[in-house]
Amino acid sequence: MIKRISAVTAALALATVGFIVPAQAATTEADCGTAGAFCVGLVTDLGKVDDKSFNQSAWEGAKAGAAKAGGFAKYIETTDSKDYAKNMALFADKGYNVIVTVGFLMGDATAAAAVKYPKIKFIGVDQFNSSTATNNTGLIFDEDKAGFLAGYLAAYLTKTNKVGAVFGMKEVLPVRKFGEGYENGIAYGAAERSKKIKSTVVYHAAGDNAFADPAWGATTANQLLTQGYDIIFGAGGSTGNGALGKVAQKAGAFCIGVDTDQYYTVPEAKACIVTSAEKKLSLGVSTLIAQAKAGTIKGGNFTGQVGLSPFHDLDSKVPAVVKVRLKKVTTGILAGSISTGFKG
Amino acid sequence: MKLLSKRNSYFLFAILATAFFYSKDGDITTSVYATGAAFALPLALAAMVGIMCERTGIVNIGIEGTMLLSAFVAFFVSSLTQNIIIGLICAIFTGSMMGLILAVMAVSWRMDQIIAGTILNILATGLTSFLYVQGKTIPSVFQAIEVPVLSKIPFFGPVLFIHGALTFIGIAIILALYVAIYHTSWGLRSRAVGEHPSSADTAGVSVARLRYINVTIAGGIGALAGAYLSLELVGSFERGFTAGKGFTALALMIFGRWNPLGALAAALFFGLAQAYANQLMIDQVVNIPTQFTAILPYVMTIVVLTISAGKVRPPAAEGQPYEKGQA
Repeated sequence: MIKRISAVTAALALATVGFIVPAQAATTEADCGTAGAFCVGLVTDLGKVDDKSFNQSAWEGAKAGAAKAGGFAKYIETTDSKDYAKNMALFADKGYNVIVTVGFLMGDATAAAAVKYPKIKFIGVDQFNSSTATNNTGLIFDEDKAGFLAGYLAAYLTKTNKVGAVFGMKEVLPVRKFGEGYENGIAYGAAERSKKIKSTVVYHAAGDNAFADPAWGATTANQLLTQGYDIIFGAGGSTGNGALGKVAQKAGAFCIGVDTDQYYTVPEAKACIVTSAEKKLSLGVSTLIAQAKAGTIKGGNFTGQVGLSPFHDLDSKVPAVVKVRLKKVTTGILAGSISTGFKG
Repeated sequence: MKLLSKRNSYFLFAILATAFFYSKDGDITTSVYATGAAFALPLALAAMVGIMCERTGIVNIGIEGTMLLSAFVAFFVSSLTQNIIIGLICAIFTGSMMGLILAVMAVSWRMDQIIAGTILNILATGLTSFLYVQGKTIPSVFQAIEVPVLSKIPFFGPVLFIHGALTFIGIAIILALYVAIYHTSWGLRSRAVGEHPSSADTAGVSVARLRYINVTIAGGIGALAGAYLSLELVGSFERGFTAGKGFTALALMIFGRWNPLGALAAALFFGLAQAYANQLMIDQVVNIPTQFTAILPYVMTIVVLTISAGKVRPPAAEGQPYEKGQA
């Protein structure tokens, strides 16, 4: 009996190591490594591929990029940060042409893999690439700009003059860039309105679940709401989503999503999402995959686009004057004539 | 009972500290304590699952899985039927079934209980990840209820008497469990089975039956903890939703010395430490690195545990399958 049960356990344990799901495309995995086949593998960070924010957008970009190139795309979800290299090797050993790794924390592992597999093109989403390898390209974003615009808008929408944020792990550079940009944007807007606005960013208490703890996000958002904060920016995988959902339960409070237009991906927060600080991840990934297919990918770093999503249901809550000002500041920020004040 | 016993002096210290913070800034202190209570409730309820099981000698490390699968069922059944009560009932049924499965493995099959619990966790992770779909919503969460009169009391009102229905049910269960374990014949029998099953058996208590009943009911309580997360606190479900709370609860159970009120106090302490860690970041009073504030709840728990715990003794028959006629 014991033996039979441990066999069942082993089978179940294997099933949780990684869900490997192919996307529909022209070629199949068996063709990978043969001439003419074009295979794209994506390795997620500890978050899930359907996290409604950055893993999901990257995967959508990978699917779109592969489909356009007439290729095949597949993902592996990382369940333990010690498996980064192993998961990349799964694709590399099957002769994949492009490997997309998602997330700042995978930067070192990706750089190492690029040296080990010189023929494969690596795309590191959210990874600043300091190596000279021509087969490793970092897809980076100016999160501080997106955060700044979100903060600027928040400074004009707050009625209580208290604006907060509930974030993932502070050690992750893109998260910190969002945070500092956001606070500086609030200060910029407050100065224009000559008002004193209190701003704060609460980061998750680190650890493996910093981006996967919706209960913490919701509770912390509620802590801010009970102290009179009326706009909350939630950023950090499902931790941030938890915060958005909680804000939606409070009448009159606004929330701001992150990475993608979360109006579509977090339906429980539709009532409060005034905008999302967007990184055009899908576009960035598919563009780089197209470059890889064409052989024009150069290595180094590629800066993707950022911006604010539409206001959707809350469009009427944003005064026309604010929209005009926001447009002006957006132009200034994207052109670099207004500094986000991010120091690094 | 000594008036200034070690335990009483801790309570006195806690009350004085609270009064001090409240006098500095009443609104913030109230908000922090209410947040601490919200952090604590799912942990305390999950710790009750552990207490109920271990008191009868079954180690349950499948609390995490029980909560996860129940939270999942609670959310998706609520979404499907557009009725959160039906969702809650189905979740409690699911949790009880998880408990029953554990009982079958641990009592009837006499399996290693750590492996049995691990199976529950893997089962829940696998099922919820595989069956999860995006874009579902529930009609509403269990809205906060303001208890008449009591909720108007400064400080205690918002902290204790403005919560959703599941919080009140949870608190009632914790108090009831305390009374049941120490003041009913069921409690005495359960403890006897957990300490010395052969003696209990000799006295005419059916060890297997009691273990089956307790582990199954405990599963139902675990389900309530899960349903609280998805139907009251957050109002959604994500994969890996419980984020390790079932394991933290096991630590709090030991911290509380297998006593429901002890575990509740431990959970409140831990929750409050988390709320204060957040508050330090919100106020930016001093420029402390977030890494430090982040580890604060854990460090404080370890410190208090070291000072106060002394010798911790688990139920003697914990984790051992019982066979009739064994010594």
